[in-house]
Amino acid sequence: MKMENEKTISQEFTPEEVALLTRLKIFINLRWTVIAGTIIATFVGPQVFHIIFPTLPVYIICAIIAAYNVVLFFQIRNLTKVGNKSLVETARGIGNIHFFLDLMSLAGILHFTGGIENPFIFYFVAHVVSASVVVHYRVAFFLSTTAIIIVVALVGLEYFGVIPHENLQGFASPNLYQEPVYIFAVLIVLITLIYGFTYMLTAVSGELRKRQRQVLKLQEWLLEQKNYELGRASREIYQLGEERKRFLFFLGVAAHDLKAPLTAIQSYLWVMLDGYAGKLTEKQHGMLERCSFRIRELLNLISNLLDIPRIETGQLVHEMKEISLLEIVNKSIEGLRNLAEEKKLRIIPELPDKLPNVNGAESRLAQVINNLLDNAIRYTPQGSITVRAKQNDKYIEVQIEDTGIGIPQQDLPKICQDFFRASNVDTKGTGLGLSIVKRIIEAHGGKIWVESPVPESKIGTRVAFMLPVAC
Amino acid sequence: MDEKILVVDDDPDILEAVTMILESKGYMTVKAQNGLEALEKIKTEKPSLIILDLLMPKMDGFSVIKTVQEPKWAGAQNIPVLILTSVREDASRRRYELETGKDLDVDDYLEKPFSPDVLLKRVSKLLSKIKK
Repeated sequence: MKMENEKTISQEFTPEEVALLTRLKIFINLRWTVIAGTIIATFVGPQVFHIIFPTLPVYIICAIIAAYNVVLFFQIRNLTKVGNKSLVETARGIGNIHFFLDLMSLAGILHFTGGIENPFIFYFVAHVVSASVVVHYRVAFFLSTTAIIIVVALVGLEYFGVIPHENLQGFASPNLYQEPVYIFAVLIVLITLIYGFTYMLTAVSGELRKRQRQVLKLQEWLLEQKNYELGRASREIYQLGEERKRFLFFLGVAAHDLKAPLTAIQSYLWVMLDGYAGKLTEKQHGMLERCSFRIRELLNLISNLLDIPRIETGQLVHEMKEISLLEIVNKSIEGLRNLAEEKKLRIIPELPDKLPNVNGAESRLAQVINNLLDNAIRYTPQGSITVRAKQNDKYIEVQIEDTGIGIPQQDLPKICQDFFRASNVDTKGTGLGLSIVKRIIEAHGGKIWVESPVPESKIGTRVAFMLPVAC
Repeated sequence: MDEKILVVDDDPDILEAVTMILESKGYMTVKAQNGLEALEKIKTEKPSLIILDLLMPKMDGFSVIKTVQEPKWAGAQNIPVLILTSVREDASRRRYELETGKDLDVDDYLEKPFSPDVLLKRVSKLLSKIKK
C-alpha cells in the first residue's frame, strides 16, 4: 500500500508506524505551504486590499515556524534511520510539541492581525483536524481543549484590554472586538467545530488503526500457521525418506542372509551331482536333483519377494538408461531356445531389424521377457511360440503368443495378482512371476495385457506389453 | 597344473566347496575369509587368479578391488579377478560406480549359486588368457 510510495521508509516498519510517519511528513509539507500562504497574504493584504496591520511581527512568526519545521524535518529523518523500538511514541511526542508550537504561532499571528475580527481564526479547526489524525483520542481532546483555551485567552485578554488589540484597518470595524454577542457567536462556532472534528476524526482514525493492527495480527497468524504446516510436511517427508532407506537396507541384508545358506546348500548339491564327491547311485542322484530343484524354487521365491518392495519403492528409476528392447528380446530367445527344443517347441521371432530405444532397466526388462517366454514354453505341450515386436506410435509393443493350454476365462482378471496360479496348471510356481512382470512394466510407464484364447487362432495365450519410446 | 588360486569368501562352506571343486582339477588353492586376509595372501602367495566374494565382514570385495588398483599394488594389478557372489551383477556395478565413479573392472562375474562345471570353465578360460 503506502510502502510503495514511501521509499525512504524501510519495509521493517509496521503499517501503523508507516502511516504515522507519512502523516508527519505531510504536516511538514503543509506547514511550508502555510508559511508561504501567510507571507503572501501579509504582503497582498495591505498592498491590494489596503488592509492595515503590523506586518513585521507576522513575518517574524513565519520565520519561527520555518525554523521549527526544519528541526521537525530532521527529527523525522533520524527516526526512520535508527531502529527505534518506541517509534510510535517518540513520533507522537514530537508531533504534540509541534502542534503546541503551531497553536501558539497561529495565536501570535492572529493577535497582530485583528484577533476575533480575522476569519483566519477558524484555522484552529485545521490544526485540530491534523492533530486528531495522528494522536491518541485522549491527547486529541486535550490538544483541542488547549486550542480553545488559547483562543479564548487571546480574545478575552484583548476584550478586557490586558493586551492591546490590533485592528485590521479597512477590513473590520474597530469596535468589533468589544461586541460580546459577535465574540460569543464566533467562539461557539469555533468550539463546536473543534470538538466536533476532534470526535469524528479520532473515532475514524482510531477505528482505522485498530483495523490495521487486526490485519497485521491476522497476517502474522496466517504466516505462522503456514510455516508450521510447511515444517511439519517437510519433517514428514524426511521421515518417510529415512524409513524407506532403512527398509531398503533391511531388504538388502535380509536378501543376502536368506540366500547365503541356501546358496551354500545348493553349491554342495551341485558338487555332489556333478560327481566331485564320488560316484552316486541313480537313486541318490535323483533325490539330490529333487533337493536342488526345491532349493532353486526357494531361491526364486526369495528374490521375487524381495523384488516387489524394491520395484514398488521406485528403485527401478536408478537402473534406467537408454537401451534396445530388441536386443533384450533376441538375447532372451537365444537363452531359452534350448528349453523350447527339449519340448520340441519352435520359437518363431517376428521381429523388425530396427526399433527405437526405450528408457529402461536392462536386467529387469530381460527378467520380464524371460519370464513371459518361460511361461509360454512351460504351458505349451506342443506347437510354437511367436515373439513379435513393433513400433506403435510413441510405444513399442511386444507380444509373446503360444499355442498352449491357455488360461480359463474366470482366471483371466486375476492372472497378474500376487500368488495367483491358474486353475488348469499343476506345475509348481511361486505365483509371483506375472505380478512382478506387471509391476516392472508399470514402473516403466507401460502397460501389459493378456488374451486367452488368442482371438485369431482360438487357442493358446497372448501376453502383450507396451513401453514408451525413449525421447 | 601348478596355478595357485586365491578363494575369498566369508562363508566357510562356500570356501570349502569352491576349493574342493578346484582341487579336484589339480589347482592349488589359498583361502581367505575377508578382504584384509585376501590382501595379505595376495602379497605373500602371489596367486594367478582371485575368486572374490563381494559382501564380507571387515573388508568387502569392493574395497579389495579398489585397493589393488592403487599404484603400490602394481604387481597385483594383472591378476585376473572372478567375482563369485549372490549380489546381482548390475546391482554391484551400479554400487561400485556410485562409490568410486569408476567402472567395476573385473574379469568375470558369476552369481551364486553356481554350478561346478561353469565355475571350472570360467576359471580355465581366465587362466588360459594370461598364458597368452
